[in-house]
Amino acid sequence: MSMMQEALDIGAMELGIAGLFVVVAGAISMAGRLGLGRSLLTGAVRCVLQLTAMGYVLRFIFNVDSVWIVLGVFCIMTVFAVRIVRGNVAERQIPFVLPAFLTMFTVYALISAMVTGVIVGALPWWHPQYFIPLAGMVVGNSMTALGLSLDRLFSDLKAKQDQVEMALCLGATAWEASRDIVRDALKAGMTPSINSLAGVGLVFLPGMMTGQILSGADPLLAIRYQIVVMFMLVASTALTVAIVLHIVRKRCFGPGQQLLLKPGKTRR
Amino acid sequence: MPQNSAPCFEFENVSFAWPGGKTILDGQSFSLPKGVFAVVRGPSGSGKSTLLRLMNRLEDPVDGVIRYLGRSLGDWSPPLLRQKVAYLHQMPVVPDLSVRETLCHAFTFNINQALDPPGDSALTAQLQRVGLGDVGLGDPAAALSGGQRQRLCLLRAVATGPDVLLLDEPTASLDKESKAVVEEMAGELCAGGTTVVMVTHDDFIPGNTACIEVRVRDGRVEICQ
Repeated sequence: MSMMQEALDIGAMELGIAGLFVVVAGAISMAGRLGLGRSLLTGAVRCVLQLTAMGYVLRFIFNVDSVWIVLGVFCIMTVFAVRIVRGNVAERQIPFVLPAFLTMFTVYALISAMVTGVIVGALPWWHPQYFIPLAGMVVGNSMTALGLSLDRLFSDLKAKQDQVEMALCLGATAWEASRDIVRDALKAGMTPSINSLAGVGLVFLPGMMTGQILSGADPLLAIRYQIVVMFMLVASTALTVAIVLHIVRKRCFGPGQQLLLKPGKTRR
Repeated sequence: MPQNSAPCFEFENVSFAWPGGKTILDGQSFSLPKGVFAVVRGPSGSGKSTLLRLMNRLEDPVDGVIRYLGRSLGDWSPPLLRQKVAYLHQMPVVPDLSVRETLCHAFTFNINQALDPPGDSALTAQLQRVGLGDVGLGDPAAALSGGQRQRLCLLRAVATGPDVLLLDEPTASLDKESKAVVEEMAGELCAGGTTVVMVTHDDFIPGNTACIEVRVRDGRVEICQ
């Protein structure tokens, strides 16, 4: 007899009980006079509203079954991801939003389509039930890596301005003068996803796998999906970070291969 | 103008200002002949260092044209220009390398791949020339004193045989011995045909070379023979 069963329903009353967990956090905030009560309440309300709205949006997308709507939703997800990356990177001297958006959109779309169409074998390749959640995971995970990499690139170029200019003065091209810094930035972006490859299943259970198991899927099938997701995250992170770093690094140097990025917010 | 009769550097109506900052050069035109020792003087913040940075394109002018040997700097490949026009920073910049690797650093870049890096005996002779005879080629360069590092950086800057040497207050923070060595070597290089442009705050006048003074003040540049 199989131990597996369909997901048990969670009703409004059960959700209300779950809300008590937020009340516990609020009580700790009040007792410790942390001043987090308002943020907690706002966060909890937004969580419920946003997820509920997303549930209806997903149901609508699944029903409409249109490639344009799927790609449109994916585009909106990418726009929000780029906004978050921009918020996490303090540097404003070098514009990076457009190349980041175009790269993220292209790489994530290609990888998500490949996974949905080739590995999962969904028909059509943009089948919303597979494409949207998979693309969402790629976007969500890779944007953090991109933010880390860009922040590292900019801060190192500014901190090591004297070394970069020393190399330029010895006849180095902009690429030769900055390649170690670009490598470090690439490594900073790729390391978390590689670490998570080693830790998954031992240190943490990913949300998607947990969700599938909770909804009654065979744990071995859930694990196979998770393996695919982990691998696609590594690839999408590496590709996106490498391409964006390549483009943005070029923008950090002028036509005379001089460093445009200067310490401080304004040029010296 | 034929290249062989062109001045070393020509500035034509050159203006430069930092974004949102004060004007450093205001439509200045002047030229520097080949083979001279040009001493650049002026008050702090007047733009002496910027003048040097413009000459090897670490900065580009806001307006006007700068020419090297008759060709606009924009027509030179930046690595080639910087191979010919070397620049020594005020503070010695030494990465985490040995003395040998530091001296041969320029040879690791593509533009200098065709040049043969000097062997150990030549490197040792160079170190002796600047009073660093007791420094080992395998020693970490970062462990040297400030004055020793600056002498090392000077050797590194001229390792590929540049035609012009730009010195940005190279002796500002040096001890008496190091200062004398750097100034003497700059004079020797000029006597050997290298054009030297040196920013300085003190009364230094090179011996045995044709010297001109470049005064920078209030956005203007004045050449005094």
